[in-house]
Amino acid sequence: MVHFRLCENFRSQPMPATAKTSVGVSLIEYVLGEETVSVEELAARGLLETPALRMREFGFQYVRVSSQSQYELAFEAARQLVEKSHTDPRTIDAIYYVGATPDSHALMNGDPRSAFHYPVAQLQYELEMTGAIAVGVSQVGCAGMMAAVSLARNFLLSNQSAERVLCVSSDVLPAGSRREMIYNVVSDGACALLVEKGGSTNRIMSYRQITKGYYWDFLHKKNEIAAAYFPTARAIIRDCLQGSGIEWPALARIVPHNVSLRSWEILLGLIGVGREKLFAENIAKFGHVIAADNWMNLRDVSTDGGLALGDKLLLFTFGFGANWFCMILEH
Amino acid sequence: MGYTILLTGATGAIGQELVRVLAKRSSVDVVYALSRQADVEESQTGVIPLRGDVRLVTLGLSPREYGEVRQRTTLIIHAAADTRFSAPLPELRAINVEGTKNVLAFAGVCPQLRGLVALSTVHVAGKRTGTIEESSLGHDAGFVNNYEQSKYEAELILRERMKDLPIAVIRLSTVLSDSKTGEISKLAAIHQGLRLYYHSLAPMIPGTPDCPVDLIASDYAASGIAGLACDGFRGGKTFHLCGGNDFLTLAQLLAQTHDAFMTYRPSWRKRSIAMPAIVDLPTFVLFAQSVDDVGDYLLRHSVQVIRHFAPQLAYPKVFDDAGCTQALAAFNIEKPRVADFYPKSIRWLVESGWADRTITAEAVVR
Repeated sequence: MVHFRLCENFRSQPMPATAKTSVGVSLIEYVLGEETVSVEELAARGLLETPALRMREFGFQYVRVSSQSQYELAFEAARQLVEKSHTDPRTIDAIYYVGATPDSHALMNGDPRSAFHYPVAQLQYELEMTGAIAVGVSQVGCAGMMAAVSLARNFLLSNQSAERVLCVSSDVLPAGSRREMIYNVVSDGACALLVEKGGSTNRIMSYRQITKGYYWDFLHKKNEIAAAYFPTARAIIRDCLQGSGIEWPALARIVPHNVSLRSWEILLGLIGVGREKLFAENIAKFGHVIAADNWMNLRDVSTDGGLALGDKLLLFTFGFGANWFCMILEH
Repeated sequence: MGYTILLTGATGAIGQELVRVLAKRSSVDVVYALSRQADVEESQTGVIPLRGDVRLVTLGLSPREYGEVRQRTTLIIHAAADTRFSAPLPELRAINVEGTKNVLAFAGVCPQLRGLVALSTVHVAGKRTGTIEESSLGHDAGFVNNYEQSKYEAELILRERMKDLPIAVIRLSTVLSDSKTGEISKLAAIHQGLRLYYHSLAPMIPGTPDCPVDLIASDYAASGIAGLACDGFRGGKTFHLCGGNDFLTLAQLLAQTHDAFMTYRPSWRKRSIAMPAIVDLPTFVLFAQSVDDVGDYLLRHSVQVIRHFAPQLAYPKVFDDAGCTQALAAFNIEKPRVADFYPKSIRWLVESGWADRTITAEAVVR
């Protein structure tokens, strides 16, 4: 039996589901870029490195491109969430604002000092979340939203009076930039989550994060990252499942990040799980949305009636940095 | 009268070691060391380097050399082989099959010949699984690579000629390193595979965790061949010169490699490189196909290295070596334990600078 070593990584402690210790993701809203572009059109515009046909073989068909800024998308997703939750925004205790790139964390206007114009503060003001502390979550790439949710969970558990946290993720690639990242196509989009104490929906059962700094320079370690991705993914998924105390058969769905379907087929082979458990419908529709796509998928699989109360869900993602992140939820 | 030996493939991984071992034997008078490179150490007493080529009917010898060697040779050890796993079958057949035919033809005209020992590979068993007997050969299970097939075809010819020539076949398993020093005379596919692991370029290996990985030490291989050829030659026999029941499982091999990297290069620890995942063959094939489709040059070639030998691990088997170990016991040749010499080989690799060179696609494919 091979024992994988998970070094210098974070493991959540076992979480018994009581009202005071239970934390869940009670609501999800998202917005995508307004323009739908096929992979063939992307190729014609010179925005792909890999041929469009190959991208189709990998499960991609369309991406969504935004003419709005990342902040505008973040604002819209958060606004919808606050509105639909019927929550008084003044009762939100914290905002975690996620963006994979430095541009997502500053509202730059040409003046170097505008690097201190933080979107999370603007969001707090514009949505009247006057009771919330505001924090940016960065440098974890596409694992940012998972990291934010884990931070929110820990914040709620360590602050007796805190009840809910808003996590927002938004990324918009610069106009005309390439839409391919390591053989995946990327959409612009934003997602907002309401993480609540005592929430019975999407209760966080366990999570694991592995950071391997050796791969920090992704431009020069592209091959090594591609090689490290699968064995580390398998290790963290197994470990996270073990931490949640459930076995594979009890898992209802895998809610993926929208990297290529081929990549997921390989990973499913590694972990020995059938394709039917993977919610893959959105890969063709909009591809990878940086840190947000697991949560977009979770909302869609819930809305489509694909989940029953109590279903156990596995979310997995990878972000540059290099970060592997896995989370088990109870719907 | 001692033996006058014609050794083909004298500069190969096994050939080099064999030349040294044979030259030291009192029962050996002369070793004609035939190779294409003709860079055998001439300083060794009783060793006569010959430049030649087994692909030719004349073995690439001049008429004078051919006549002399033919007249004097009493024992042939045929070690010449093309061991490239990924080479096209016609290229491999040129040396491994046609070369064997030429050596057999030569053997047929040696008036003093007492024996011909042909080196082969345990992997002529191809995709067979279970216990592989020394005597068994024919099968229709297929092969993992062209090298296996070409050696299988050569063995079929050798079997046929056992009726009229004193032929013994020695099937070697994967030769790793010297059992005492860990030294490796020539890097082979397994060493390349280990290097990929060291540099985080080996994501997955097909197989099962408990699949046996048969490895032998180079000194044991050389002394075993010399013993079976010179001390107890038995025509018509096939021997498995391998680990037999002394093997590492694939999971053990990966864990020992990981531990040895940590021990002999403590700074490797901070890379946190994951052990390659052990996966089923379809998953590995899908991954390899994906890398072929879109991967960078370096990753494509890294996966190719693994692809040409590792799928053998998806067909678990144990090579029965009872006949060989019994024969060698009579000459006091003991098999080194793989658990003892495996870490030494990793240590040698790490300390030799093997791990420090920047890995490139060119280095991977060499």
